[in-house]
Amino acid sequence: MNYKELTVQLVDKCLKYGADEAEVYLQSNRNLSIQVLNNEIETIEEASSHGVGFRVFVDNKMGFSHCNDFSNKALEGTIKRAIAFAKLTSPDENNILPDDKGITTIEGLYDPSIAGITMEEKINMALRLEKLAMSDHRITKSSGSGFSESETEVFIANSRGLAKSYKSGGCGIGVSVVAEKGDQKNTGGEYCSRRQFSDLKTLEEVAAKASKDAYEMLDPEMVRTQKATVIFDPDVGRSLLGGVIGALNGERVLQGASFLKDSIDKQIASELLTIIDDGTKEKGMASAPFDGEGVPTGKNTLIEEGVLKTFIYNTYAAKRAGTKSTGNASRRGFTSLPDIGTHNVYLQQGKHTRNEIIASTEKGLLLKGLTGYGINSVNGNFSGGASGFWIENGKIVHPVKGITIAGRASDILNDIDMMGTDIDMNDTFASPTFRVREMQIGGR
Amino acid sequence: MNEKKYFVRDIPRRKFLELSMKGGLIVAATPALLSQLISCKQQGLSGIGLDLDKETLNKVLAEALSKGGDFAEVYLENRTSRNIVMEESKFKSGLYGISQGAGVRVISGNKTGYAFTDDINMENLLRAAQVASNVAREGGSVTPVNVSVQTRDSFVTIQQPLENISDPKRIEIMQRADQAAMDYDERIKMAMISYYDEIRGRVIANSEGTYLRDELPLLFFIVQTMSDNGKARHLSRERLSRHSGFEMFDEVSPEEVSRRAAREAIDMLDAEEAPAGMMDVVMQNGWGGVLVHEAVGHPLEADNIAKGVGAFTGKLGQKVASDVFTMVDDGTIPNARGTINFDDEGSQAQRNVLIENGVLKGYMTDILSAKQLGMKRSGNGRRESFRYIPIPRMTNTFIDNGDSEPADILSSTKTGIYVQSLSGGSVNPVTGVFNFTCREAYLIENGIKTKPVKGATLVGSCLDVISNIDAVGNDLDFGPGICGKGQAAEVDAGQPTVRIRGINVGGSKA
Repeated sequence: MNYKELTVQLVDKCLKYGADEAEVYLQSNRNLSIQVLNNEIETIEEASSHGVGFRVFVDNKMGFSHCNDFSNKALEGTIKRAIAFAKLTSPDENNILPDDKGITTIEGLYDPSIAGITMEEKINMALRLEKLAMSDHRITKSSGSGFSESETEVFIANSRGLAKSYKSGGCGIGVSVVAEKGDQKNTGGEYCSRRQFSDLKTLEEVAAKASKDAYEMLDPEMVRTQKATVIFDPDVGRSLLGGVIGALNGERVLQGASFLKDSIDKQIASELLTIIDDGTKEKGMASAPFDGEGVPTGKNTLIEEGVLKTFIYNTYAAKRAGTKSTGNASRRGFTSLPDIGTHNVYLQQGKHTRNEIIASTEKGLLLKGLTGYGINSVNGNFSGGASGFWIENGKIVHPVKGITIAGRASDILNDIDMMGTDIDMNDTFASPTFRVREMQIGGR
Repeated sequence: MNEKKYFVRDIPRRKFLELSMKGGLIVAATPALLSQLISCKQQGLSGIGLDLDKETLNKVLAEALSKGGDFAEVYLENRTSRNIVMEESKFKSGLYGISQGAGVRVISGNKTGYAFTDDINMENLLRAAQVASNVAREGGSVTPVNVSVQTRDSFVTIQQPLENISDPKRIEIMQRADQAAMDYDERIKMAMISYYDEIRGRVIANSEGTYLRDELPLLFFIVQTMSDNGKARHLSRERLSRHSGFEMFDEVSPEEVSRRAAREAIDMLDAEEAPAGMMDVVMQNGWGGVLVHEAVGHPLEADNIAKGVGAFTGKLGQKVASDVFTMVDDGTIPNARGTINFDDEGSQAQRNVLIENGVLKGYMTDILSAKQLGMKRSGNGRRESFRYIPIPRMTNTFIDNGDSEPADILSSTKTGIYVQSLSGGSVNPVTGVFNFTCREAYLIENGIKTKPVKGATLVGSCLDVISNIDAVGNDLDFGPGICGKGQAAEVDAGQPTVRIRGINVGGSKA
């Protein structure tokens, strides 16, 4: 089936059945997932699938429907459902579709060689990864290891004459292990996913990180409730700052549901904080030639040296705000409407090595694990469960678990006083180690 | 895959949308085979074509076991869903989805092979069976038993079937909710209302001869309200969900749902910073049960026990909690959100007592983990959709009633935190370390609930917390949620008012 032609034909069908404007979003996927446990295959899951979503406007009212049956009768029936549903919703002049025909060129989003690697080799990678992660004597059990791959082709067409498609894919490896000592148990896990098979980290590197995460937290000691410095490991930057990104959602800002709603062009954070969203990065796991409704992606500086530069928008929210889409319409497949989300987000790296940051900290927490929801994007409150290492006089003295950290976003962001150099740009949320001068810690 | 985290989420609307729509698909025009298999509504369970269906299923099961294996299963599913969203008093969007497909699973020893297709026809079913059968290249084999129709007890009654409800009627419910929220107080600036319903049809056939089909309706109504007084802002949430017909709204009105949400949003405007550190916590009855769902429920799911890594591994029959603590998972509570009649592998839903007066009595199993552990199937093998393999999951999970009066529990607690509702939380099922975020909480001073405090995190470990529950009330109630464990499942969590001595609270002041 020629999906490109089909999407264009389906747009015409939507118009024929009564839509004033229409968008067709079609996706086809292929997935493979291999899980091994205790040197044996645990599961192999394999599937191909496809589906299509219809977004239609009737008298400025929006309806949406989706189906995964591509027979004519099913497609036509689903379109009619969207049109019928549109008639129930409220008219909104901001219901418009993009017409930018541009496509951002991005290299390396699809690696045809992944599908060509034999099943045996993929199974062997998972088996070897588990074996390597189990090789340290402190590791007692495996929770499983795996290899996965996927490829997706997206086709989008709308009644403004836009018709685009692209193909992307990726593969990943991961492992999770348990370290035990007496009654103590601790888990550690690591994964690596890449667009290109040859860019995957070595099995040795992934295994070593997983087992280290598990054993290095053994023999923790509790600390007392106090205020102290907190150093954020690259792994937890996202957990904290995700709520800041959420507060930049242009639609939430318009609704008054963002703690940053009145902060454009204002200093909201330390000068050390620059956050960039880049949808165009070569081989980026969150890169795409266009966003979830077909607008070409770009590279946007969200926060520059602590100053809030822009909110992020899809076409609807941009129209409502009187501005242009920032190429941030995000879509979770053919079953969903375009929402607002980021691509590859990274923090501008600073001047200090991780060791320098630790060495210059008199008393505090090196935060390795953070649970909870991060900063609340509506009111800026922050509270989370924490684990990591306690630092005294510039040295790690013991692991610490079962504590909490809390604060207000405005205080935390302004209190960032050291930014590291150890950034891994392959992460979709890439952050170096950074330090917050003081936060409340809850303990004994 | 990092560390596997299981969670019950605070569900912002969009997240809900994502979860509810995931892998959603529909019917409209269906190939002949599919309509025979799935359209039980039109044809009834004894409809024509049943013999052909059985023959087809037997062929697919035989193909699945052609290379060996201990067990094979075909799962067909058809889900029709509606999601209408209202924000800022406007109907923002209406979504209609049809999702259908079939998965074939083969178990050989500890290995599972799985493949699915969204075009249900003989050729695709046989291909899926071949792909799934590849895990069984070595090892024993069984001959499949020809399938025959079985029956299971049902715990879902329907008075006003969803298929008879017009869309304007759904819209009216939402308008009433919005009006009630906006009328509650002028500081309520916005209501976000999500209406979701679905009808999920299932056909399950396996090599043990099981052949089952049914249809379950599901309603999920969420009202979030945002308050703003110029200084503070709070986004509150109230949810209502059942496996039932539209009569749900006769029993609990949409206005009532909105007023509950709006009350929280207004009361929490005055919230002060919460204290930090170890303190006593009294949890109000209802959705607070998500704490034991996470902290105890997930670690009692038998997959991690079978792997030998779960926190409760090897503790069966042992005292693991205080005497006052009894915990149950019950898939048979009439019309509850977590009720399933039979699980997605065909096992009859049951009331399973997991911990009784502090003693560990059982785990929640699916077919595979039951076999691995030599235990009974508990009716907990669930799957999000045909795109996923079934795994052990909870249904309606709760702390059972004790004999304390809720008022006495509070008045005998000198200082601490009174948690009225939780957003949700997560647990590491191996270590048992959990966290929760309070949505609405108050200080307890001299046995009295006083000032509201901002959303603090509670952290602890499951074995500690169930030993430290020292008072259990007699006012058991439930709340609805979406449980995530790599795939989503609709659950209820419940509890009476309980007191936990010494939990670490993540406040922002000492």
